Amino acid sequence: MFDQAKFRRFVQKNPHSHVPFFHRPQASRRGFFRLAGAGLAGTFLASQPAQAQLVKGQDVKTQNSADRVLFVLLAGAPSHVDTFDLKMLNGISPSTFNPTAINGVQWNTGVFPKLAERAGDIALIRSGRAWAAQHTLSQTWAQIGRSPAAVLGDVAPNMGSIVAIEKRGERRPDQIFPTFLGLNSDGAVGAGYLPATFEPFKMAPSTNGLPNTTNPDGATRFATKYTLLEGLDNPLRVKSPYGDSVTDFGAFYSAARGLMYNAAVDKAFRYSTADSGRYGNTAFGNALLTAKQVFEADMGTRYIQVTLGGWDMHNNIYQQAQQGQNNIFTLGKIVDDAMSELIKDLKANGQFGRTLIVMMGEFGRTVGALNPTAGRDHYLQQFFFLAGGGVKGGKAIGVTDETGARTREFGWAEERDIRVEDIEATIYSALGINWTNIRYDDPFGRGFEYVPYANEGLYKPVNELWA
Amino acid sequence: MYVGEHKPMKRKAYWVLASLGLSVSSLTLLQGQQQSEPAEEVELIADHAECVMFGPKRAEFMDQSVHARRNRFSFSEITESVVNRLGGRVETPYFVPGGSRTQASQKGSASGNLIDKHIFGVLREKGIEPAARTNDYEFARRVSLDLTGRVPKVERLTQFVNDNDAEKRAKYVDELLNSEEWIDKWTMFFGDLYKNTDTIRATNTNRRAEGREAFYAWIYNSLKENKPYNRIAYELIAAEGTNSWTKGELNWQVGNRTTGGPVQDHFDQMASATTETFLGISHFNCIVCHNGRGHVDTLSLWGKSASRMQAYSLSAFFAQSTFTQQPRAERADPNLFYWGVEFNRNGSYQLNTTTGNRPPRQAIGTQRVATPVYPFGDGTATPNSGEPWRTAAARLVTSDFNFSRATVNYVWKELMVRGLVEPVNQMDPARLDPENPPAAPWSLQPSNAALLRDLAQDFIDNKYDLKALMRRIATSDAYQLSARYDGNWNPAWDSLHARRLAKRLMAEEIYDAVVQTSNVAAPISFGVASRVPNEPAPAPKIVQWAMQTTSPSSRGGAAGFLNPFYPGNREDTDRRRDGSDQQALTLMNNNLVMARTRSTVTNGRESLLRQHVNKGNRELIDNLYLNVLSRMPDESERSAAMAALNSGNRTQAAENLLWALYNKVDFFFNY
Repeated sequence: MFDQAKFRRFVQKNPHSHVPFFHRPQASRRGFFRLAGAGLAGTFLASQPAQAQLVKGQDVKTQNSADRVLFVLLAGAPSHVDTFDLKMLNGISPSTFNPTAINGVQWNTGVFPKLAERAGDIALIRSGRAWAAQHTLSQTWAQIGRSPAAVLGDVAPNMGSIVAIEKRGERRPDQIFPTFLGLNSDGAVGAGYLPATFEPFKMAPSTNGLPNTTNPDGATRFATKYTLLEGLDNPLRVKSPYGDSVTDFGAFYSAARGLMYNAAVDKAFRYSTADSGRYGNTAFGNALLTAKQVFEADMGTRYIQVTLGGWDMHNNIYQQAQQGQNNIFTLGKIVDDAMSELIKDLKANGQFGRTLIVMMGEFGRTVGALNPTAGRDHYLQQFFFLAGGGVKGGKAIGVTDETGARTREFGWAEERDIRVEDIEATIYSALGINWTNIRYDDPFGRGFEYVPYANEGLYKPVNELWA
Repeated sequence: MYVGEHKPMKRKAYWVLASLGLSVSSLTLLQGQQQSEPAEEVELIADHAECVMFGPKRAEFMDQSVHARRNRFSFSEITESVVNRLGGRVETPYFVPGGSRTQASQKGSASGNLIDKHIFGVLREKGIEPAARTNDYEFARRVSLDLTGRVPKVERLTQFVNDNDAEKRAKYVDELLNSEEWIDKWTMFFGDLYKNTDTIRATNTNRRAEGREAFYAWIYNSLKENKPYNRIAYELIAAEGTNSWTKGELNWQVGNRTTGGPVQDHFDQMASATTETFLGISHFNCIVCHNGRGHVDTLSLWGKSASRMQAYSLSAFFAQSTFTQQPRAERADPNLFYWGVEFNRNGSYQLNTTTGNRPPRQAIGTQRVATPVYPFGDGTATPNSGEPWRTAAARLVTSDFNFSRATVNYVWKELMVRGLVEPVNQMDPARLDPENPPAAPWSLQPSNAALLRDLAQDFIDNKYDLKALMRRIATSDAYQLSARYDGNWNPAWDSLHARRLAKRLMAEEIYDAVVQTSNVAAPISFGVASRVPNEPAPAPKIVQWAMQTTSPSSRGGAAGFLNPFYPGNREDTDRRRDGSDQQALTLMNNNLVMARTRSTVTNGRESLLRQHVNKGNRELIDNLYLNVLSRMPDESERSAAMAALNSGNRTQAAENLLWALYNKVDFFFNY
């Protein structure tokens, strides 16, 4: 039987260095097996004894300024120098970008006129840098806040699933919406090694709201059907060694039943054409509108991920009005219309201050001259866009060089590029979650860190963001 | 879209240690550490170039404990929760009401079937009582789903139950193996395994509908003629030709093409796909980037001491291959073209790369080229004189004993729910042989290593005949066990097959079960040819069953119903058997089901309800159960249903009853 406490004492006596687990001279592989080996039989990595979810973190002060998070992934990687770290280059950048200095920050008011008007609500990080320039790798990296190829990267949950498991104790009985909602995010990372309850509930927004929540025969007849279904189930249940009702498929049925003919569900998930129009009448706009409504309903949703793809502009990045093709103007407008309207609505309903918005791509794009196909290619420098949830707007953290190639001023106390791991720490801190937490329920018995190298404090919340 | 092919990017500074979760400053420590380790002949430092194999494919690298922990319940737990909701009571002798058990073999380990010798031998040794035998209803439904993806047709079911032939179960197995539906189901299974899609997004490689259909047809025809599996694998690995739209088998290697890197990246990917698909060894893909030590030490005993040089040596078998495209002049549209996979006599695996998808490949001492040497077995096999290398790879892989083990394990999992090795693509060659068990703390990987060995040998003795393998499994006594366990079940017995394990039906099986049992068709239409600009749209193909759809792009209008059941996309999202709220919402409210609860006549065909609604209550109830759930109701179900029929509008009540059956857990579960 693996002795967790003994192993931890061993590691404490031999301080953790910045070397991967298997290369530590102290905790050698032989040492690991000596401690872990006793009693391992059957499958090598035997399930650890079912400990209560042991979660331990250091003594830190979280910001605790937000109740909910909207995470927008701009999949394909938007060009940072053409969006939120604008660089006007002679003979290259379109004059239609209409660069305007707002509070010392150059805004692309040609592409983002409405967001520029909201500059006072938005904080931009320009000293961001991705680890890898490959789409699927970095998109996953951004959602799990660590390298997917790292030791526990394989089983790491989406940040939304961590938020869901951390906040599960706060759910009231009447809160029946999923804690973690994925809109237009069919490819979103799931709950990793965490129980399936913390998976994102994935759907595409629609004027009809949550799909399949009404029965064609109507509510009354549906009730009759459902009663009959319950009556046919075997009322005699053999005592099961497993007491957890989560394993019972009936639980899915009761949850589904609860979502049907539910005014709160309809109100949150349905929207009018007028409202959709305000948000730009696009799938992305509808997702932000739905997010706003779902948060407003206060029915248990704490983390919403929305994905907007199409940013991988290797060709014709500035080409306007090209049939069916994405370019900076077409995709930028979609974001501008929807995000500005969302901020406006959240300010109107009073939730802006407690709703953290984080928007990013998985990396940036090449700087300077365009490539031979009039586009930009993959590049590690990137921006992070934040608003609400206690973030102080109207500022930019970090300054890049003339072309946007590298950071010149980091803009925060750590004096280095800001990484998605730091953004992850920021999100958890904003929600009052201890970002240094380590969960000791992971399958390797190694401890799953919410943010990698928590004990060493390698990554930190960007506290320069707060008001 | 993938990394631009215009600019190979500078990787070193960016990626470096991030892949191991290290900070940049620890690079020197890493190097220092390696110097103090026992000397190794080949020490290649992984520069951690971006690796396309991780990201969304991470799920493949989870081991069983992760699955268990992730889902919080094992196969046993799902089974328990399902059987608790089925009809029949503990005190009656039959778990599923009605139907005799007498034809189920009672001989256990003395049955003569090697599977039983091992399964029941272990149970006897451990003093574990196996579950009761299935009755005929249980057995017929289960084996029909397992072998053909369909629930039994009601006439055949009734005939089967009433048959007194002592051999009826074995005969039914043969009947199912020889059916058209068997071909459909296993074409879907191998389509998943070989990842037949229109497009591979990660590399922006397009088979197009034409290539996908050609691949589908090749798989279908191979199964139809019951081609031996070693020949199927050989043909896929060694496939050579100029046109993937007419030579279907080319499409597997087309899917292994990479982009944004040197040709060695192709060879590595072809080798990795080969080891994973045909040897069940997914960890090989790790070794292609770096030595196993320091990376896979707790995942694979073989991998732990495997070197990148060994990986190069297998990749080298693929170095005489080159990917070609349809000549531009011959294309109807510049973007629509077929692929070729052709022989390049002069190909070789040079150790001279610094860019692309894998870490730099550098000369090792004076060795600048890796030559083909098969890294498994005794590690010395090479191509015969004059033998093309890829053909040699096909020969060596298909004659590897682990090829048989891996194949047997894949099929075993489909029929027995839990693989002998789990997960099925994480086989560890160093931990499979019961006569050479690994040293502690490692242990044999299969739940029954002797069984896997003997069944693999049996598969070889039967000339890699898939049907013979399935027959061996489906006619064993172990397969005949019930999912219901009447004693005190111990979760630790999960892998011993002391009871049948329950699993949810595949998305396509649920769709087809609704359609078949209701007798109301739901044809699916999808494109099978690319749209050429300025030409009329090609005519779609129409199939009657979801199990006949040819790829994730071929789900047509059925996608809305299928998707909540996680059919997967054959790229980065695997097929899953998990449940969800959305599945419940779909079965309760989706029009596919709702329309089929009515009494209708369509094109002269009477719906299920129409056929029986005018009969007496009891007959109606029994027929609905028999058709939809492949069993009779027990007394409490009958009286609940009776009460419903007697209250209010009878036709509506009958519709409600049928609706309820489609939502009963034993409808969408295979037990």
